[in-house]
Amino acid sequence: MKPTTVTLDADVVVIGSGAGGAVTAAKLAAAGRDVTVLEEGPWIDADAVEPFSLEEMAAKYRHRPAAALGTPSIAYAEGRCVGGSTEINSGLYHRLPGHLVESWRDEYSIDEFDPDTLDAYAHRIEEDLAVSRLPGAPPPSSALLERGATKLGWRSVEYSRVFRYDTAGRGVKQTMSRTLLPQAVDAGATVLPDCRVHRLLRRNGRVVGVRCQRTADGRVEDLMIRANHVFVCGGAVQTPAILHRSGIRGRVGTGLKVHPMIKIAARFPHPVDHGGVPMQVVTEFGPNLSIGGSASRRGQVAMALAEASDNIEDALADWERVSIYYAAIRAEGSGRVIGVPGLRAPIVTYRLTEGDMSRLARGLVHLGEVLLASGATELYPSVADGPVVRRQDGLGAWWDAVTRSRASLMTVHLTSSVRMGEDRARTGADSFGRVWGYENLRVNDASLVPDAPGVNPQGTIMAIAARNTDQFLADT
Amino acid sequence: MLWFEREVVATLVSPTLDDRQRSDVETYVDESLRSMPEHLRAGVAAESLLFGSLPRLQGLLGRYDRRSLGPRVARWRASRFDVVRQYVRLLHSLVLFAEHELTPRAAR
Repeated sequence: MKPTTVTLDADVVVIGSGAGGAVTAAKLAAAGRDVTVLEEGPWIDADAVEPFSLEEMAAKYRHRPAAALGTPSIAYAEGRCVGGSTEINSGLYHRLPGHLVESWRDEYSIDEFDPDTLDAYAHRIEEDLAVSRLPGAPPPSSALLERGATKLGWRSVEYSRVFRYDTAGRGVKQTMSRTLLPQAVDAGATVLPDCRVHRLLRRNGRVVGVRCQRTADGRVEDLMIRANHVFVCGGAVQTPAILHRSGIRGRVGTGLKVHPMIKIAARFPHPVDHGGVPMQVVTEFGPNLSIGGSASRRGQVAMALAEASDNIEDALADWERVSIYYAAIRAEGSGRVIGVPGLRAPIVTYRLTEGDMSRLARGLVHLGEVLLASGATELYPSVADGPVVRRQDGLGAWWDAVTRSRASLMTVHLTSSVRMGEDRARTGADSFGRVWGYENLRVNDASLVPDAPGVNPQGTIMAIAARNTDQFLADT
Repeated sequence: MLWFEREVVATLVSPTLDDRQRSDVETYVDESLRSMPEHLRAGVAAESLLFGSLPRLQGLLGRYDRRSLGPRVARWRASRFDVVRQYVRLLHSLVLFAEHELTPRAAR
């Protein structure tokens, strides 16, 4: 049966409800604007599924396996639900380092972009989301990293998280579906979940509406939403894909940046916690290399062990003593997002440089050093047939093992596919996210961040989104 | 899942699982493959058709025995050809994750 078509009107349409979209919607609604938020995924109660579980993957992830094509390919994860990737990430929070703000401002000619301004926005976000440190002792998986770093004389810090703690010390992650989106709705915004945007409708240098399809109560509806202004906030992969599907190209989809991660499954002589993600990060080699911990449920431990070796039965039987850690780099290489008409998913490619491969090998060796120093007895690298290491003098074998065909990489941080700035030859949008050539079309998410920040990008995305939304409110 | 993917998955699933658990794991792998971006799924499907052509032919001649697939898949895991090795590793990682998250084995 042909779907019915419904026409709606909104002053502002916000496409995407993650860190960028939720900030945009909440600020606009609080200012009294008529806002409609379109989210492709469902609205799922934040407590309905266990973090990092198979159920969460099924309910909240866009694809279970997805990868940026290249040699090596890089597996990546994106949220696809109300709240976007804030619903599935670790909740670690970091401000954008001031030296990067200044460097990006100069490199991309970004107007009114300075550390003080962004820090002021970050401060308000931190208050809203109760960004804080763990109130008590860290879990063993986190304390182990600190112990190893201390033993080696390396700097490490406990990252803050977007968690609100009760008096008993129980923390609840302050995802967008728990915080800013309900605020936006209370202020009058409409959130339409299960609503996939096909394309933007354009006329004479303006976007006049959004064509999308919504599934509700088992019915499929075609929607045409007429809008005065459109913010695209689908993240660094989906935002350029939507723009491409709408015939908007230019410097859109080029320059994608990620933090490639290489991992180790480390076996300890004692049990390690598996419920969350360690908050300790080794910063000794920052900003280009950082070392931290990953989700380590039993399924993830099994997959990580199998990356290195076929003989994992013994370690797998001992999975409660195994935890997964990563080394992440700021890559020199970059990628592309290409929205292809007729395909639901865009094609994503990424090219790592020889320098990146060398940094990954160095990261793996440093990660091995800190884990052995922390008391690990066996290290399984995410390298096909990579040697399992039990002593410091075995780590040297990994230098040659990390090759393009054997390294297994992944990322959860994707940025920079529609860079902002006044240098039109290198950016897809102006200093406040307005897409070049369109007076009422803005991008306001990770796509704008000019380069990989070397830290968890949620704080950066939210601060930039808040800044740009204030500018929009001042301009219109 | 295509026929050959189902055969490889059946080979990779732990023999200690009962029929219901095996079915749950297969369903998970099937859903995961379906949720892949189309171009990646098309690549995996093409590999499945290619790698499965000989077993399919053997099947048509009545000479296919699933037990012979196990050693072959084990060899492919260590293949020097990236495309072969990654094909098996993809399916194996999905199987492993499901086995250890879906079934009572996870609580063992």
